[in-house]
Amino acid sequence: MGELEELVLLTVGILYPEAYGVAVMDEIEKQAGRSLNISAVHSVLTRLEEKGLLKSKMSDPTEERGGRRKRIFLLTAAGKRALEEANELRTQLFNQIPKIALQFRLA
Amino acid sequence: MKISPPRWADRFLEWYCHPELLEEIQGDAYELYDRAAKKSKRKADLLFIWNVVRFFRLRNIKKSTLSFSTPNPDMLRNYIKVAVRNLYQYKYFSLLNVFGLAIGMSVSLLLIALVSYVNTYDNFHVNKDNIYTIVSERTEGVEQLDYATAPVLLAEKLAENPAVQKVVRIRAGFSEEIKHAQGNLPMSGYYVEPNFLHVFTYTVTQGNASAALTKPNTIVLTESAAMRIFNSTDVLGKIVELEQGGLFEIGAVMKDHPINSHLKFEALVSYATIPEPAESTHDQWMHYDREYVYFLLREGGDIKRIQTELNRIAQNIYVDLPIKATFETQHLSDITMGPDYRQAIGPKWEMSGMIAFAVIAVLILLPACFNYTNISIARALKRAKEIGLRKTMGGLHYQIFSQFIIETVVISLFALSVGVLIFLLARSEFQSMLVAASSLDLSLTPKTFLWFVLFAMGTGLVAGIFPALYFGGLNPIQALKNKIHGRSSAMRIRKVLTVFQFALSFGFILALVVFSRQYHYSIGFNFGFNKTNVINIPLQDAQPERVLAEFSPLAAVQSVTFASDVLGLNYTTTWVKNQSNDSLEVSQVFVDHKYIPAFGLTLLAGNNFPDETWQRERFIIVNEEFLKAYQIAYPADAVGRTFEVEGNLLEVIGVVKNFHYAPLRFPIDKFFFRQHPNRYAFAHLNVQSPDPHLLVSQLENKWKDIGEQKFEARFFEDDLYESYSMYQTLLKIIGFLGLLAITISMLGMLGMVIFTSETRAKEVSIRKVMGATVYGLTFLLSKDYLKLMLLAILIGAPVTATVFSLVIPHIQYYSVTMSLWDVLLSTLLLVSMGLATIASQTIKTALTNPAETLRSE
Repeated sequence: MGELEELVLLTVGILYPEAYGVAVMDEIEKQAGRSLNISAVHSVLTRLEEKGLLKSKMSDPTEERGGRRKRIFLLTAAGKRALEEANELRTQLFNQIPKIALQFRLA
Repeated sequence: MKISPPRWADRFLEWYCHPELLEEIQGDAYELYDRAAKKSKRKADLLFIWNVVRFFRLRNIKKSTLSFSTPNPDMLRNYIKVAVRNLYQYKYFSLLNVFGLAIGMSVSLLLIALVSYVNTYDNFHVNKDNIYTIVSERTEGVEQLDYATAPVLLAEKLAENPAVQKVVRIRAGFSEEIKHAQGNLPMSGYYVEPNFLHVFTYTVTQGNASAALTKPNTIVLTESAAMRIFNSTDVLGKIVELEQGGLFEIGAVMKDHPINSHLKFEALVSYATIPEPAESTHDQWMHYDREYVYFLLREGGDIKRIQTELNRIAQNIYVDLPIKATFETQHLSDITMGPDYRQAIGPKWEMSGMIAFAVIAVLILLPACFNYTNISIARALKRAKEIGLRKTMGGLHYQIFSQFIIETVVISLFALSVGVLIFLLARSEFQSMLVAASSLDLSLTPKTFLWFVLFAMGTGLVAGIFPALYFGGLNPIQALKNKIHGRSSAMRIRKVLTVFQFALSFGFILALVVFSRQYHYSIGFNFGFNKTNVINIPLQDAQPERVLAEFSPLAAVQSVTFASDVLGLNYTTTWVKNQSNDSLEVSQVFVDHKYIPAFGLTLLAGNNFPDETWQRERFIIVNEEFLKAYQIAYPADAVGRTFEVEGNLLEVIGVVKNFHYAPLRFPIDKFFFRQHPNRYAFAHLNVQSPDPHLLVSQLENKWKDIGEQKFEARFFEDDLYESYSMYQTLLKIIGFLGLLAITISMLGMLGMVIFTSETRAKEVSIRKVMGATVYGLTFLLSKDYLKLMLLAILIGAPVTATVFSLVIPHIQYYSVTMSLWDVLLSTLLLVSMGLATIASQTIKTALTNPAETLRSE
């Protein structure tokens, strides 16, 4: 799982139950400060769905999109586990860093 | 107001995007757009376009709909079935469409048959891929002309080239009379080298032609020529004697060449028969009339190398010569339908003529296609339910499209069968109009037929594409509700098409009017000399004195006079030197002293040729243009001046008033009469007889004592009229094409009027109930068409006038100018025909009892 994929997957989790293309894009911009093109978000979402980490359903039509429905993405069990694993790995690795290495002083 | 993103970008997205993904993608794009548009519309537009472009990824693109090329066979059967049922149900319209398309196609069919036959020219030669001829561009002074001929000396140079396998020299112009017990037989052919039969493929049936052609005074006859002379093909070794003198042994007999051979001959004479040229080699390089060089390229030889060789030869040879020439190779297949060269050996079908023909064919075909398009779109309402249903059941845009294309193709195939019928009827007439008719065979071969079918399908495609697109794009809901309104663009196109058709028809009518006026103008033209009651007799071999002695005693013959050419038809030219050694080209006719009074020509000054026994040439009688050219102000001043003509000093004895010695195609130019009995070729008899036929038979009886040849006599006027018979041919062609164009446009209009009358039947009935008159209703239904017709005339008249003013002076110098009356007459003709067509339907509709139409509701 790539870094961008992990980011998108996390954002989908955060936005539950309203995660769709534009919302994911906005959230990533807000939280991580990364500006993505909507088409890039779409392709990542589709890829994650193909890997079985996400599932999707069509929402009810809304007025603001000219009556068009949104595709709402949800984490699957596999997706949740993948996030947990990634998170675990990170914590595990982080905890192994010697304390001294993290103590910076002004030189 | 709601703002929306650029329409084209949105459409582009809809076009490429996979339908399953379209909704979310378009939704997201719109959401972002709306958000951005709150700040700036322009930025939002750019963002939208950018997003649409970024979404254009393989993953999002819909699966190709190229399954179009393989429609389901069941559906195909259904389409054809529906097409045939529709044809049957709406017989009127089907008949109009089929008939219109058939007429439209007929001219194109002639063209296709012609081109496909011309393309078979010379395809029977075994070596056809490697046979070339040499053409030349000859520059003499400022005059630069293209010739199909080339100096035979080139042949020797070419033979040395290793890339050339065989060279053959041909001299055209063997045209002799063969002595025969029952009168002489004309015979024409070429002088050829023995290689002729190695390069070209002609079948020799008896004897060894190649061996025979090496010997002088040997001739190879075709079977039909042998049959003509000896009534047998078993003629090997026999001798033929030429009228001009010379005995020829028949060395071989060959089958007649196929019609599609560009070399046309009855006999081949050995090249060795031609005496060694007396001229210097320089002269031979400069003057090469009727000499042709053909060569066979060695297999794998490079024709470009030969071209460079030719360029080199031309550069070396002509460096010191007053005449320059360059040579070029021409492939056998380019000879017949190629550029227009002078002195071409065979029949030519110039590319330019073919293109003109093709333009005419398209001008006739397109209106017929327009008719179909027009009628189909107008009648969309009738088909709307079917299309709506098909779409609702899952018919896609392209399926409806292909259905209508197939339907049109079915109709055009029906039209083809009618068109072929017209083709067969018009074929012989068409062939008779062509100059090289005898070298043409327009019979229907499987190959031409295949082309016909392909052409018909192509026509169907052109005629059907617009309706098919229109129907394919119908909205099923509206179609099912019967709520389609002619899109304004469709309406506009229909009007434009109709106007174009009428403008074309109008052009043809106008052409017909102007050319028939031109014809009458030409034959009624005052040539400035007396042309009535004159009989022309070609002298052939008869002695003028004998003719004079036999014919002048007849009571009906008032005078007998002799001339070298017939006035108003023919003349020759010569060069005149002035004292200052300038040369001027002057037209001339040789006459005797009785000629000028007999033709009623006016002498402005001086005298006629003296009535005395001719000993040597001394005098000329010049015309006014001649005086102008030499800046002689008064006719009397010219008398007595001398000019050098062909080495003799000739004195001007008289000045004749300008008259038309040349056909009306040419302006009157410098001209003089000369006197020389050896040049007389015609006797002109001024006659006064109540019974011309009796007179002619009297003359014929007398003729038997004078000459051996057949007596030919014609009235001067008939000869003159005949020379303008090209107008009759032209009128016939324009008439035929005009008839086609007019029929097509009238058929189209008939279809439209029938349709409008049907759809407006209720409206008319209600108006009638409310008190409208039949006259008023007819006018109401007709006025739209009248408007279109008048618009067409407004456009057609100036266009035609421009074309005429460009074309007519080329056809004839003295010509009529198009007048307002011509336009008015043509307008009257077109409008009255149009009105008759419209009225046939509108009056019927206007007369219908309102109860009939209204009670159904």
